[in-house]
Amino acid sequence: MGLSLDAVSKSYGAQQVLAPTTLQVADGEFMTILGPSGSGKTTILRLVGGFTRPTSGRIGFGDADITGMPAHQRPFNTVFQDYALFPHMTVAANIGYGLMVRRQTKPAIAAKVGQTAEIVGLGGLLDRFPSQLSGGQKQRVALARAIVCEPKLILLDEPLAALDAELRRQMQFFLKSLQRQIATTFLFVTHDQEEAITMSDRIVVMSAGRIEQVGTPKDIYYAPRTQFVAGFFGDNNLIPGHVTGNGMVTTALGTMPIPAETDRRERDVMLAIRPEKVLLGAAGSGSHQVSCRIDDVTFIGAITQLRLRPAAAPDQVLTVKLTSDRTRLGLESGTVVSASLAPGDIALVEVS
Amino acid sequence: MVSLPERIILFMLVAAGPFLLIVVPIGAFLAMSFFRMENQQIVHDLSLANYAAFFSSWTYVKTLLLTLWLCAEVTLIGLLIGYPIAYFIWRRSGRIRTILLLLFVLPLFMSYIVKIFTMRSILGLNGFLNQILVAVGILSEPSQVFLYNQNAILFTMAVIFLPFVILPIYLSLERIPRSLVQASADLGADIGTTFWHVILPLSAPGTIAGALFAFVLALGDFITPQMVGGANGFTFGRVIWSQFGLAYNWPFGAALGTVLLAVALLAIVLGGLAAQRQKV
Ligand SMILES: Nc1ncnc2c1ncn2[C@@H]1O[C@H](COP(=O)(O)OP(=O)(O)OP(=O)(O)O)[C@@H](O)[C@H]1O
Ligand SMILES: [Mg+2]
Repeated sequence: MGLSLDAVSKSYGAQQVLAPTTLQVADGEFMTILGPSGSGKTTILRLVGGFTRPTSGRIGFGDADITGMPAHQRPFNTVFQDYALFPHMTVAANIGYGLMVRRQTKPAIAAKVGQTAEIVGLGGLLDRFPSQLSGGQKQRVALARAIVCEPKLILLDEPLAALDAELRRQMQFFLKSLQRQIATTFLFVTHDQEEAITMSDRIVVMSAGRIEQVGTPKDIYYAPRTQFVAGFFGDNNLIPGHVTGNGMVTTALGTMPIPAETDRRERDVMLAIRPEKVLLGAAGSGSHQVSCRIDDVTFIGAITQLRLRPAAAPDQVLTVKLTSDRTRLGLESGTVVSASLAPGDIALVEVS
Repeated sequence: MVSLPERIILFMLVAAGPFLLIVVPIGAFLAMSFFRMENQQIVHDLSLANYAAFFSSWTYVKTLLLTLWLCAEVTLIGLLIGYPIAYFIWRRSGRIRTILLLLFVLPLFMSYIVKIFTMRSILGLNGFLNQILVAVGILSEPSQVFLYNQNAILFTMAVIFLPFVILPIYLSLERIPRSLVQASADLGADIGTTFWHVILPLSAPGTIAGALFAFVLALGDFITPQMVGGANGFTFGRVIWSQFGLAYNWPFGAALGTVLLAVALLAIVLGGLAAQRQKV
């Protein structure tokens, strides 16, 4: 059930922009495609929407093979990145376009349009033209236009990219609650990791035309499986290491036990540790202690960020984030502290 | 900053070109239409006699009306042929699109006279059209009906002004973001529905501009009727020309010209209003 991509690839001439990709999106899921510019996010959306045909592979929805189905027959609707509102139509006509195309009666369209406009908070603007709307309002029209036909799947291509930070947070919240309310599958594209983490049921991380990892936000955040994912999620501490076969890993910061339930084969790996998981001062039992000098302290509000230089490896920097109240303990640059790394907080990332 | 007097001087310098080249000739022309002829001399008395003569002569008025009708036909044919061509070019992509566009717009850079002669050689007794029709067997011998009549004028004008119709339509199609076409498909519209509700209304300004070009160009054209219209193809442009070139009645010719100018301006204003209603 749901949407399935089965070894779907896309090439333009000799250039492959999407390697054979397999992906399942369950019904009612909020699935986010996350990746840097040019990684193939829009390409996947366009393939699902039917705006381009895959070079190989199969796209299925429910029991049906929709690989060759033209866009206008797919039960999906898209919120375009530039909104793509019809400039010659009023807000009402824009929202009602899909219903008009389906030959519904005028009163039925008007009722449905009014209702949907209410849901997205556009009541009272129905007679305006798109050129008379603010960015956030256009965004809502695009959204209303997409949900009014009650599609099985909504495709959203960086819908919030053009909004300012405050409006963006509001819309993130709104989109998420809307998705629950209408119980529709959302396939959402963004290149903002925070947005992906806060909104999604699952995240697909893409890089250079291939999927790096699929998982829940927590999976991806705490257990990145590839170096790219570990690096893409901001400020992960990445430390090269070598698994020695007896359940230990040697690094420039010393030898420590690897997390339970990880592959014990001997090999080179990368250790990923979230900055907020590095503890200072008193350590729990079983943690690995590293003596460090504080390089600098940055107050960011609720959080304070420290940069540490381990005495054993002055080239390596450890980033630490603490809630700011904890830094009143006299953590200043130059101070020597003991940082502790608990095995359960370390993720082993395979290096290729 | 530029001071006010300097700005005024600057404005006058910039305005001098259009003033000398457009306003002065039209003003002179307008003035001329109120004079009259006496013993082969232009008499500088102001009167509306020329206009009265025009409106009281059914022959002149009828010629004007027939010419307007002819121009409307030229416009309609131009749109019916030009829109599909512009649309076809727009739907191509990359190099093919550029080449097609160039091909259809290239005639703009050719001499008008050359084009008319080309049309004449196509429509004439030994022309291309007759040769084909005879070769295919539709005609048993070359026919004269294609040249030297009202239809020859109509056909020639429609062909010659076609690039002026295609270009603005193409440009307005080109300005329609592809995402709008995709959005329409996304919302369930097939290509016909998308064309009717999105493409056609959004390309209306260019279509109106193209129609105006064809109409106004046809209105003022006196060479095409002369060259392919023969004795039967009489248009208002030709009448005006004959007032200047044959009858040497410049004031009357100027009055007829003013009437023509007024009609052209009216068409442009109406077209402009229609275009404005389309775009918000
Ligand atoms: N029509 C096309 N012809 C050739 N290459 C294309 C075409 N469309 C996209 N590409 C290429 O495919 C790759 C992926 O593009 P895509 O639009 O999917 O990236 P994206 O992840 O959406 O990036 P962004 O975040 O910048 O929107 C890019 O390298 C792009 O240049
Ligand atoms: Mg994109």
